[in-house]
Amino acid sequence: MKYLAEYRDPDLARGLVTRIKATATRHWVLMEVCGGQTHTIVRHGIDELVADQVEMIHGPGCPVCVTPLEQIDRALAVASRPAVIFTSFGDMLRVPGSRTDLLHVRAQGGDVRVVYSPLDAVELARRHPEREVVFFAVGFETTAPANAMAVWRAHQLGLTNFSVLVSHVTVPPAITAIVESPDNRVQGFLAAGHVCTVMGWRQYEPLAARYRVPIVVTGFEPVDILEGMAMAVSQLEEGRHEVENQYVRSVRRDGNRLAQELITRIFQPVDRQWRGIGMIPASGLGLRPEFAAFDAEAKFGLTNIRAQEPAACRAGDVLRGRLKPHECPVFGRECTPEHPLGAPMVSSEGACAAYYNCGRARLPAAKTA
Amino acid sequence: MCLGIPGRVVDLRDDGGMAMGTVDFGGMRRDVCLAYVADEIRPGNYVIVHAGFAISKVDEGEARRTLELLKEMSQLDELAWMREVAERSLAGPADRGIDGSTDRRIDRP
Amino acid sequence: MTNDPSLAAGPVCPVPLGSATHVLLGHGSGGKLSAELLRERFLRRFGNPALAALGDAAVLDNPGGRLVVSTDTFVVTPLEFPGGDIGTLAVNGTLNDLAMMGAEPCWLTAGFVLEEGLSFTVLDRVLDSMARAAAAAGVPIVTGDTKVVERGKADGLYVNTTGIGTQTEEFSPGPAGAAPGDAILVSGAIGRHGMAVMAAREDLGFATTITSDTACLVPLVQRLRASAGGAVHALRDPTRGGVASALNELARAADVGMVLEERALPIPGPVAAACAVLGLDPLYVANEGMLVAVVAEERAEAALAALRDHPLGREAVRIGTVTSEHRRLVELRTAVGGRRIVDMLPGDQLPRIC
Repeated sequence: MKYLAEYRDPDLARGLVTRIKATATRHWVLMEVCGGQTHTIVRHGIDELVADQVEMIHGPGCPVCVTPLEQIDRALAVASRPAVIFTSFGDMLRVPGSRTDLLHVRAQGGDVRVVYSPLDAVELARRHPEREVVFFAVGFETTAPANAMAVWRAHQLGLTNFSVLVSHVTVPPAITAIVESPDNRVQGFLAAGHVCTVMGWRQYEPLAARYRVPIVVTGFEPVDILEGMAMAVSQLEEGRHEVENQYVRSVRRDGNRLAQELITRIFQPVDRQWRGIGMIPASGLGLRPEFAAFDAEAKFGLTNIRAQEPAACRAGDVLRGRLKPHECPVFGRECTPEHPLGAPMVSSEGACAAYYNCGRARLPAAKTA
Repeated sequence: MCLGIPGRVVDLRDDGGMAMGTVDFGGMRRDVCLAYVADEIRPGNYVIVHAGFAISKVDEGEARRTLELLKEMSQLDELAWMREVAERSLAGPADRGIDGSTDRRIDRP
Repeated sequence: MTNDPSLAAGPVCPVPLGSATHVLLGHGSGGKLSAELLRERFLRRFGNPALAALGDAAVLDNPGGRLVVSTDTFVVTPLEFPGGDIGTLAVNGTLNDLAMMGAEPCWLTAGFVLEEGLSFTVLDRVLDSMARAAAAAGVPIVTGDTKVVERGKADGLYVNTTGIGTQTEEFSPGPAGAAPGDAILVSGAIGRHGMAVMAAREDLGFATTITSDTACLVPLVQRLRASAGGAVHALRDPTRGGVASALNELARAADVGMVLEERALPIPGPVAAACAVLGLDPLYVANEGMLVAVVAEERAEAALAALRDHPLGREAVRIGTVTSEHRRLVELRTAVGGRRIVDMLPGDQLPRIC
């Protein structure tokens, strides 16, 4: 595949590994804040290739994982209603709520359907005026343009049977929370390439300056990740703390203006709870009052939900990078993808899932070449 | 979800006021909403697609430049690495520092 | 369904209806409609002496040697997909299970659960596929059964096939046969069947050129036997769960480890692209026309040459080696020089592929 396969080239990767090893005079700690990047790193064993030079801490880059348990429970409550067609992205199906998950809701008769695009959910609503269609709008800024367009489209079509259950979070406040935390070890960040494709990187400039951390906007293939790491290490070695762009083929400083305009028209910043981290002000997106008719929370009166956190789940510590997944006491024992205690073990962007499915810590230590 | 994949725009059309198109991903095709890139793309261009939406046009010039640069670097690095390995093996054991490299701390009795 | 008012209440008195276009409940009741269904559709296509005798059971001559039996039920949806249909899968799938044990297939049975309302056009195509596949393999369908269930109870059609074959001691690859040092071979490209079925599911809205690789693997196994004989330690056709699951099963059964080279995996471009778009891993995608062979190192080259000599095995390649380290774990050396484990998946990446 063009513009994908080239960024998996072993020779380019090896060149970047050599570069990182040659540039680093000491050990550095970086964080990536994107589940997609976490998965690439773990799937390809990238961090192990430069373990002596760089430690990668996996940040809260999984929007499903940081969604509070109450919101998952709300989704499950709606999905269980007889007249509802509940739609979501595929990896939501096994995310555990307090008592159940969407797969079990479906097994018990709930109409739960996987969609590839939120527009598919709008189309379902159009074709089934007798049913209520709800879309679980979870995501970072990357997905906000798609969800905004879905709401806009439903509004244009005059649909009254379509609504979204919103759980959008934004990245810059999370980075702020990480660097401001007293035991922060992170010295540089890889910013999520597709979040920045939409939003640009202007918002990160004050962060880099104020907290004196290099921030490199990075893509998702192995060569992208390694190049992003190399750029961050160079900055750290040279004492610089700027925002740089590795993902030049997709990201511009101002991002996608059209997308930002529609996001602003449909959504507004709201305070959000991040599971395991707590409340981060203005870190989420919620529907503007003009589009309240499309808000599933209001439509279905989902206020009396009391979540019950599984006692043993350490998702919060994993999401903040305090704990590597395999250091969690229940990892691979009570908590597995078949019986997950928390979202990070089943979400396609969860760090625990990446570690488990790729067998981290189960292979004996690599012999150094 | 961060899953964004590059694909080639095959055709563009209007679907009730919304710009849509067929995008080819290495032989697999799907309808994609092009509303966010409509003003800058033509058939044959590449876009990054996420959740059924094109979120950016691939800057092919920048992509080519980066890859060429990375190729050059990897060849240079390989030469530099080979040179370092050769020098290290020429240096006798007494010249090697505690961490096994030349030119670092030299530990002489 | 026809608009005949006499059918509106559901047929309880089966009257031969030569013009029926869809399966009716009466076709399963054992009366004239059933007989007509059996005669016109099944016998005409599967015709052989054992079946034509129409006894309650088939009477066959004992072939001698060790008997190998395998059964499988096919619930794939949609029923028809690029490259094949549920019938092709049902015949080839069971023949392949026998072949993976080193057995020569002798006979097949076929049981059907038909949904009321299933179009005869579709049923005929499926039966034609089964007849063609069975004839190509030279294996008769000697007995069968048909039931009809109410609309909504069977997604069109479910098929069960059972296969019986014979095996000799000198060629009896088994799941626990892999030994450290053995070569891990695949006979062809990975990931075609699962992606072809998935693309045929309209609700996902993708179009692709990928076709299912469904095929009878008996000729390939015969070539392996001729070229490597007892050095073929294990065989598996990686259907549900893909190559990853098949290798994990073999590793666990034999209590060995395995190391795979990502760069050696034969993944066709369109499969890689489809998987990238949908976030799937080709190693877990179902295959229906290729096999994994674990062969002693000294016969690996000969085995590969023998596979490549047949149209189904042109792309045969070595993808890894069995090891005594990290027992029961399959390690992948990644394209960029790293490594990870390839584990069993908790559930289907894609449901109802086979």
